[in-house]
Amino acid sequence: MNASSAALDLRRAEAAERVRTRGLPHRRIEDWKYTDLRAALGDGGFDRASPVGAIKLPRGVEQYINVGGVVPRWVETYYGKVAPQDFLSDASLAFDKNFFAFRVPSGLQVSEPLDFELSGYGQSHVLIVVEAGASVLLKEYIKADGAMNMGLEIVLDEGAALRQVWRSAHDEGAVAMANIAVKAAAGAVYRGHYMTTGSKLSRTEIHIALEGEGSEAHLSGIGVLGGSAHADVTTHVEHVAGKTQSTQLFKNVAGGKSRAVYQGRITVHEGANGSDSRQTAKAILLGGRAEADLKPELLIFADDVKCAHGAAVGDLDAESLFYLRSRGVSEAEARNLLLRAFLEEAAQEIEDETLRAEIWLAAEAALPRAMEDAP
Amino acid sequence: MLEIENLHVTADGKHILKGLSLSLGAGEVHAIMGPNGSGKSTLSYVLAGREGYEITEGRILYQGEDLTAMKPEERAAKGIFLAMQYPVEIPGVTTMNFLKTALNAQRRARGESEYDAMSVLKLVRQKAAALKIGEEMLRRALNVGFSGGEKKRLEILQMALFEPRLAILDETDSGLDIDALKLVAEGVNELRAPDRAMLVITHYQRLLAYIVPDRVHVLADGRIVKEGGKELAEELEAGGYAEVLKGAA
Repeated sequence: MNASSAALDLRRAEAAERVRTRGLPHRRIEDWKYTDLRAALGDGGFDRASPVGAIKLPRGVEQYINVGGVVPRWVETYYGKVAPQDFLSDASLAFDKNFFAFRVPSGLQVSEPLDFELSGYGQSHVLIVVEAGASVLLKEYIKADGAMNMGLEIVLDEGAALRQVWRSAHDEGAVAMANIAVKAAAGAVYRGHYMTTGSKLSRTEIHIALEGEGSEAHLSGIGVLGGSAHADVTTHVEHVAGKTQSTQLFKNVAGGKSRAVYQGRITVHEGANGSDSRQTAKAILLGGRAEADLKPELLIFADDVKCAHGAAVGDLDAESLFYLRSRGVSEAEARNLLLRAFLEEAAQEIEDETLRAEIWLAAEAALPRAMEDAP
Repeated sequence: MLEIENLHVTADGKHILKGLSLSLGAGEVHAIMGPNGSGKSTLSYVLAGREGYEITEGRILYQGEDLTAMKPEERAAKGIFLAMQYPVEIPGVTTMNFLKTALNAQRRARGESEYDAMSVLKLVRQKAAALKIGEEMLRRALNVGFSGGEKKRLEILQMALFEPRLAILDETDSGLDIDALKLVAEGVNELRAPDRAMLVITHYQRLLAYIVPDRVHVLADGRIVKEGGKELAEELEAGGYAEVLKGAA
């Protein structure tokens, strides 16, 4: 075993120790108030097996799988250093020994998407390093069929750009956790879109650290929930440096007995002057038994900053429904049209046309289930 | 075409229409005038089938069929069109897409073949020109950011496109300047036809100077209290509702 590998082992051991001492999060922890992981996992806990990954690697992107041998310097530098050391990131660090890592070399503009599929259950950890001036499109498709926890660390060097389109289509009974952590250097841009149909319990945490001046993060998401699905999106955007920008637009449609959760915290640190953050979360509830909990939160410790946030939960607009129906559009078609119109704004945030169309198809396909009455 | 017999309607527990009777034949244009709160909008909503209005007595026959149990979309497919006082803004649905969806939904319900996108576009363009509705407006989200006049013109465009048998115009003149009013009235007059009936609901006489009605009914406190020819509208304009209603009592 070489020295650098030992460093990784140590980070994993420390993460495992934190998991052990803190235990599974419970609902008395403020950040886990709406999502009862302990209850959903029961006695089972997370299996330590790795889920199955399928990767399409674009030309020029370096891949590393941790199965022994020499650990490249870029892996040693960043592995476990971006993750926020909370339960989910620690668990995936600690238990996925055979993690994947990708490096986009400086200046490389990758046109093909880095295509990553994950299915099954267990713990998975991934590190992506995008070097200075490089850019890449990350396409992720996650399909959990048991208890899954995925940790993703993203490093953006100066002027780097990563666009992520993340889609989950879990089995109904899955407990699907994800923890995405992004660290952006000066001038780096991260764009993430997250589409989910939920599962028994699903949660996607997104932690963004805008550490370099002028770095940006733009988050958007669509949730279409039916049956008794639960989908939690929890974001924490930290404006660390000056002139940083962030936007968030999350739209949820919740029908049946489903529950949509959005917790969005924005912290503007001391010295992050001239930063600008916007945050919008909206949910439409179909029927009387669905629920949405939207919790925007702003913590500002700097001067001369712009922050705007809004959250709204509502029903489909009765006036609009009547208007469409009076013009001959059936009630079901009118509802569908209004729901698509509501969601579309968030889909527009996806720049890549092909991926936008894919996400849109998935959202449209999920709508009938969300529109079904709860049993 | 339309027979309303002794219609009583309540909404939110309030008795609003109190025995309204009205008969409208094919090819006729009737005006319903009345002060605020007389039940004009309630009548238009009840005819279009909006939820929240309960018919407690009487009936509405449209082409010999009882309307009461029909859904709004069924009424539309059967040729009833309500041009609304306040057309709703729907972000995210382009005007053109809405027109195509609505037109094809009506055709489908009647067992007619649907139009493809190109045919709808041609049809809409042809009808839109006369109403001075440009391509740019059709590309925008439905009624979003439209001026009052643009919204009303779009209502009339829909009327031209759907070719209803019975058109109800609810306060179509409200919020229009004189040029817009003329444009809208011309659009409506173009659609007068022997097999089409129109019910023009308005507070003021000014619209009726351009859309000349065959009959005028005065609605007050949920009932028709006076009827007459087009001159009745002028009488109302000159004397005001109080004067005319005093005469009717």
